[in-house]
Amino acid sequence: MTLLHRSSRRYLTRHPWLMGLSVLGVAIGVAVVVAIDLANTSASRAFELSAETVTGAATHQVVGAGGALDDDVYRRLRAAGLRPSAPIVEGYGSLRRGDRTFQVVGIDPLADAPFRPYLGTGAGSDLDLGTFMTDDTALLSARTAEALGLASGDTLRVDIEGTTHAVVLSGLISPQNERTRRAVANLLVVDVSTAQRLFDQAGTLSRIDLLAPAEGSAQRAYLDRVREVLPDGAQLRRSDTRTETVAQMTKAFDLNLTALSLLALIVGAFLIYNTMTFSVVQRRALIGRLRALGVTRGEVFRLVLGEAAVLGVVGSGLGLLLGVVLASGLVQLLAQTINDLYFVVEVSELSISAWTLAKGALLGVGTTLAAALPPAQEATAASVSTVLRRSTRETTLRRRAPGWAGVGLLVAGAGSLLLLVTEQSIWAGYGALFCVLVGTAFMIPWAVVGLSNGVRPLLGRVAGVIGRMAARGVVTNLSRTGVAIAALTIAIAATVGVGVMIDSFRGTVTNWLEQSLQADVYVQPPSLVFRRSTATIDSTVARRLRNVEGVKGAYSVRRVTVQADVGRTDLVAVEPGPETADVYQLKAGSPESAWPAVRAGPSVLVSEPYSYRYDVGVGDTLRLQTDRGQQAFAIKGVYYDYGSDLGVTLMSRSTYEQYYDDRGVSGLAFAAADTTSVDALIADMRTSVAGLQDVLIRSNRALRETSMRVFDRTFTITTVLRLLAIAVAFIGVLTALMALALERRREMGVLRATGMTPPQVGGYLTLQSSLMGAIAGILSLPLGYVLAYVLVFVINKRSFGWTLQLTVPSDVLVQSLVLAVVAAFLAGLYPTWRMARSSPALALQDE
Amino acid sequence: MPDASSPLVHLDALTKTYREGDQERAVLQDVSLRLERGDFSVLMGRSGAGKSTLLNLISGIDSPTAGRVRIGDTDLTDKSETERTRFRRSHVGFVFQSFNLISTLTVGENVRLPLELAGAAPRATKDRAQALLDRVGLADRADQFPDRLSGGEQQRVAVARALAHEPLLVLADEPTGNLDYDTGQAVLTLLSDLVTDTDTTLLVATHDPEVLPRADRVLHLHGGTLHEEVPEYITSGT
Repeated sequence: MTLLHRSSRRYLTRHPWLMGLSVLGVAIGVAVVVAIDLANTSASRAFELSAETVTGAATHQVVGAGGALDDDVYRRLRAAGLRPSAPIVEGYGSLRRGDRTFQVVGIDPLADAPFRPYLGTGAGSDLDLGTFMTDDTALLSARTAEALGLASGDTLRVDIEGTTHAVVLSGLISPQNERTRRAVANLLVVDVSTAQRLFDQAGTLSRIDLLAPAEGSAQRAYLDRVREVLPDGAQLRRSDTRTETVAQMTKAFDLNLTALSLLALIVGAFLIYNTMTFSVVQRRALIGRLRALGVTRGEVFRLVLGEAAVLGVVGSGLGLLLGVVLASGLVQLLAQTINDLYFVVEVSELSISAWTLAKGALLGVGTTLAAALPPAQEATAASVSTVLRRSTRETTLRRRAPGWAGVGLLVAGAGSLLLLVTEQSIWAGYGALFCVLVGTAFMIPWAVVGLSNGVRPLLGRVAGVIGRMAARGVVTNLSRTGVAIAALTIAIAATVGVGVMIDSFRGTVTNWLEQSLQADVYVQPPSLVFRRSTATIDSTVARRLRNVEGVKGAYSVRRVTVQADVGRTDLVAVEPGPETADVYQLKAGSPESAWPAVRAGPSVLVSEPYSYRYDVGVGDTLRLQTDRGQQAFAIKGVYYDYGSDLGVTLMSRSTYEQYYDDRGVSGLAFAAADTTSVDALIADMRTSVAGLQDVLIRSNRALRETSMRVFDRTFTITTVLRLLAIAVAFIGVLTALMALALERRREMGVLRATGMTPPQVGGYLTLQSSLMGAIAGILSLPLGYVLAYVLVFVINKRSFGWTLQLTVPSDVLVQSLVLAVVAAFLAGLYPTWRMARSSPALALQDE
Repeated sequence: MPDASSPLVHLDALTKTYREGDQERAVLQDVSLRLERGDFSVLMGRSGAGKSTLLNLISGIDSPTAGRVRIGDTDLTDKSETERTRFRRSHVGFVFQSFNLISTLTVGENVRLPLELAGAAPRATKDRAQALLDRVGLADRADQFPDRLSGGEQQRVAVARALAHEPLLVLADEPTGNLDYDTGQAVLTLLSDLVTDTDTTLLVATHDPEVLPRADRVLHLHGGTLHEEVPEYITSGT
């Protein structure tokens, strides 16, 4: 190690608190990014793994128009000699024991071996096929069975769409390799006929798996033969399209979480910039001496960057560890949100990818180095003569502050232009947001000077000379205070922005629910995916409920997933009643013409997110795969819907029944007779279906409350990320104040020597840090509002296609102001305490 | 290495101006000077006369507005900042008024630093530093940090550091300015002994008249121009 490096290392170790806090700042920033990435990756890996496992070796699949396929199609394929082929019936169920969600897969053990050999149903298997195919029996992974304390012969209780079924564990699956062992951990394998009973879909299959020859003319010929056999409505597709669709579903959601996680890193970058600038400023004289002794500018530059690299590497290393710990907590939150919004996924373990860790480390070190570039550049400009004091620099900085503010305005303006360049890109939206943040950071020193000078007379009146000194101190140490205030401003503004966005979203959803929930009682089977329930109400249950006394009217809803020319589409079939036009408020199209058209024939409405996602609107035609073949439906209107960001297509029940063979019902809405109390009606309904399928019977109010609870739950991760960004900003302010304390030891020594008591010094510094917090709080409000505006009208619109109403609740603003002052006050306590108790003699001593 | 017959320091019509607002102020005007190898010269002048500026120009820290600076065979005027820095670290030693030791290096490491910058092997730097510290009477303080030393001791370390890499030229800017009389004299004695032993050229900028009796040449900076006076002890033959 050269003497220069040794000198550098000693500088770092002589300031353990400052360096430690900087490392922590980087670590938290990296940890948040890594944790979100790991959680996202784990959830999608878990899904991919289970999808791949269930898909097995299949290259293609035959699926039905409305998700179900007549099992006669399978017989036709076999008769045409198209083998190997295997029927599948699949869905989700919860095992009472262990309260775990399983993917229930129904297979034909005689045909399945070429596709999923690891299930052990092929030749040489010791599975009792007779029992497996005739009785309600199931196979479970050996590892899962062991974890749940189950053995062959045990009876399992499986809840499926509100009905509890008993199946006997007839065998255990023990695949050869670890990857498959993990993949089958959440599988419950049953015979295809058993699955049809469990899911109440006699005579239908979920799909048929095929094994086509490798690419080329043989494959084309094979696929042509398959198509010849298929009836109208059945569709042939590649087996990997399913995973792709799922990745598409959560793309915007993942992106938004990633962007939010980067916020903590941006705030962390300010912290590093602050620390490195401090280290350079504090060593200006020392660097000047080194330069006088012949150390070149390049060597000084590399030295400072080297120090930053050390902080970056240590911080990132720590961040990776913290990230893994944080991810194990976040992954369940994330899985819950995905289950609420998109699809069923059971994430039993964190999948730690080397790529995620490498990205996190690279991002941490890269951000640190980027943040250290300006201070390193500044270090090279250190005058060789050793008489230049920092005050010269502070004066220069104050003089340049208006210029920087101008640059900031340009950067923020460039961000706004970015929004005009493209109307769809989410990245451009975040790019604009980033420009606004950075632009504002440039404007902050100028604003700090203005606000501090403005408040100086007031503080003078309140706290005398100490008050005036406190205000002046913020300006005279602008190179330190400016960056700390900027970091805090950005973190608090992000809190305001995200808070206002969530509140606006919440307000919009509340209004929408009030508008759209007009019936008195709602019934639906329990579903593992809250917002996209496709579970079916048992026909007996539906019939009994309709006949309960006190029911004035009943309207059914069917939700299925169908194939459209634009991809997989959630289709809702409703029975239009007198209030339907009020329930579905149209954004485009006229209610007078849209509803009669929807009632009459092949016409649909699409939800706002659907219209945005697929760029379709009134006058366009949607091609849906139906049981009668592909059919064109005219889009007659676009309606507001905040239930699913994936988008929904809506048609009348009569049109649905005309094109689809399915007669199931996913939900029922009931209007109570005028003389009947809703509570009494609910009680009667529960009695009427007791012992049958366990359906959820809820009042209008209860459903609204449940919806809002789920809504709040889906924003839990967002809240966690906001708090972490504030934690980093808090460390930023603490670091800045510690740096100031160290740097101003001499000034404090002089004050103490001239008669200022320790409490007075403490008061002076506390006032100053609180003032910094107040300035950050004030500056964060307009910035937060701008961020909220961009989040509500740009990011949300571009991510999900929603129109939200911006509401700015005063409590969010007040909370943010208080948060800023309290954060700065708390961060100032330790440095203040240290400075107030330090000996003036020591402080005045030359080094 | 420079030609022994040519002057070690050759300043030719040096001018240095600074811009102050709209005005230009000349700190040095048309300054020419030749210093021979082994010369002990003193540069006198009031505060603000431009002594430090002249030292900065000679060492290559700063570059002149007009004129040329030649040290030995090297013309610094046309060199880049990096080239001047590399020249300085090989051929120039510095002693400052406020010692300017590197607080994050030990006493021994401070002395080794110029050697290491000049590319010497670590073992050699250690031996050389130890020998020099021995010479300035601080051999037992090599492992201590500068803040443990008195002002006089720190300046002795600075002298050792200035001579560690055997420079052609040592520049001292008010080397006794922060020291009491006795300590200042001791440091001067040490400095002059060391440069005499090594035949190093020494230029001391000071307004301390106590330095004059030791000097071969006395230079005065006044109003941006340089005048030379022959020391009295030379004219008197003492």
